[in-house]
Amino acid sequence: MTASRRLLPWLLLTPALLIFAGLTLYPLGRTLALSLFATDYGFENAKFVGLENFQELWDSRFFRQAVTNTVVFTVVATVLEVAAGLGLALLLNRAFPGRTLVMTLLLAPFVLSTMVVTAIWRAWFHFDLGFLNNLLRAVGLPGVPWLFDPNLALWSIVLVDLWQTAPFAFLIIFAGLRLIPQDVYEAARVDGAGPWRRFRDMTLPLLAPYLFVAALLRSVDSFKLFDKVYAMTGGGPGQATETVSMFVYRQGFRFFDIGLASAAAVVMIVVAGLLAVVYAASLLKGAGR
Amino acid sequence: MIRIVAAFALCALSLIPLLWMVATSLKPPAEYVSTSIALWPQDPTLAHYRVLLDSGMWRLGLNSVVVALGTVALSLLAGLPAAYALARFELPKRFDVVFLGFVLVIKLAPPIALAIPLYQVLRALGLLDTHLGLILANQILALPFAIWMLLGFVRDVPYSFEEAAMLDGAGFVKRLLQIVVPLLMPGLVATAVFVAIMSWNEFLFALLFIQTPSKFTLPAFIATLINEDETLWGRLSAMGLIASLPVLLAVGLVRRGLTREVSVDQH
Repeated sequence: MTASRRLLPWLLLTPALLIFAGLTLYPLGRTLALSLFATDYGFENAKFVGLENFQELWDSRFFRQAVTNTVVFTVVATVLEVAAGLGLALLLNRAFPGRTLVMTLLLAPFVLSTMVVTAIWRAWFHFDLGFLNNLLRAVGLPGVPWLFDPNLALWSIVLVDLWQTAPFAFLIIFAGLRLIPQDVYEAARVDGAGPWRRFRDMTLPLLAPYLFVAALLRSVDSFKLFDKVYAMTGGGPGQATETVSMFVYRQGFRFFDIGLASAAAVVMIVVAGLLAVVYAASLLKGAGR
Repeated sequence: MIRIVAAFALCALSLIPLLWMVATSLKPPAEYVSTSIALWPQDPTLAHYRVLLDSGMWRLGLNSVVVALGTVALSLLAGLPAAYALARFELPKRFDVVFLGFVLVIKLAPPIALAIPLYQVLRALGLLDTHLGLILANQILALPFAIWMLLGFVRDVPYSFEEAAMLDGAGFVKRLLQIVVPLLMPGLVATAVFVAIMSWNEFLFALLFIQTPSKFTLPAFIATLINEDETLWGRLSAMGLIASLPVLLAVGLVRRGLTREVSVDQH
């Protein structure tokens, strides 16, 4: 009885543990190992090269460009999305007729497949016939080469990402806003604090942990950027929208330089690991409150 | 008053791209390949839907359904017992903390970083280019999510109910099936819906691990349409609408749960 009771939880965990071991832990370890070899597939005929792949990455103009693009995209998209989420949350904080409907409708872009989102926006960005340029020309402005201008393409993708995922930031920040006790505001009002003072000195500090979590989750996600770039620009024009994920994809699945692709993947895993530590620390801090 | 107008205006603005998709799916090519800004079609047509149906697109929809159902089934079958064990048993060496930390890392890790070895694993298992392989790959995201979410729901089921059944001599399996699962139904349904949406929208693994066009899921097929010819907007929009409708309906039904998912994310 006791022996079977001790075994039972492990028995229950077995399927999940098997799936994790085979599909996550093993691939993770294999990526780490492959990053130390020059190989075009597995370990057969692979040559151990130590850290040479990382040296090659470091020297690669393309990789540096991909890193720069990814960082720029992540920072800009995250800041804009959290700001938009905060604005929406404040706007919808007070009850009004139709608020539930507005909230539900606002979530629509967030739950769509990224490929559907990309399909719509690629049509909107079309230079000659796209909806955006048609609008601009209708009011007498010149069309904008949204995806063809190397200086503009990444910002166009930021715009699409903002449209699709600001609702997610909104959901988190809105949840935080609902938890602020209203009597705090009553007291401040009695003390004569105006709306701006109340926002700056009370709402913002009380909301800070939620803004932080929203920013962290959005940056983690932006850091992986692949789908939109793959189908919208393919990384172009030139290297203007190449991201680290695209770099890994191209090296691994187009050029079959598995060693180099794995090294780039390791760099991504390390960065994700650091973000995970920050996230875990913030969760623990939240739990200790 | 200004607040209400602003809220509705922003909402309308954010829905224009979706409205454009619905309208374009009904426009003849002469209307969407133009410089007009008219959203609604003058001369609506169902031609794009007919072309898609005639070209066997419904089979791709079926692929997406099969993969989504498989992903949900596997993640619940493996996830529910795991969540139950984590919620109900004292595990040695803080196994639960280690486990949840691990889940967090997976959640944050970029899928492309695991894609190369995963490709080799699926190939070794003979599961490359099969829906079963894609269902397995989807577990990387689906299973941690399912466990994390079900854990909260299992904790909400009072243990005293199970203890009462134990006094009546009910064995473990009987308790699980007759007490825990029925009480857990809303949580199971919500988890299933989210995992299904996740799988329905998943693109990267579908792109990398499915090679035969007739086995594509909808997002993978849409990607080929986007890259093939960028002015097939009518067909693309019809396809996008068909792919989005089930998700939009599901979200309308479980909007409350979506808010819970976000709070699960934080705690």
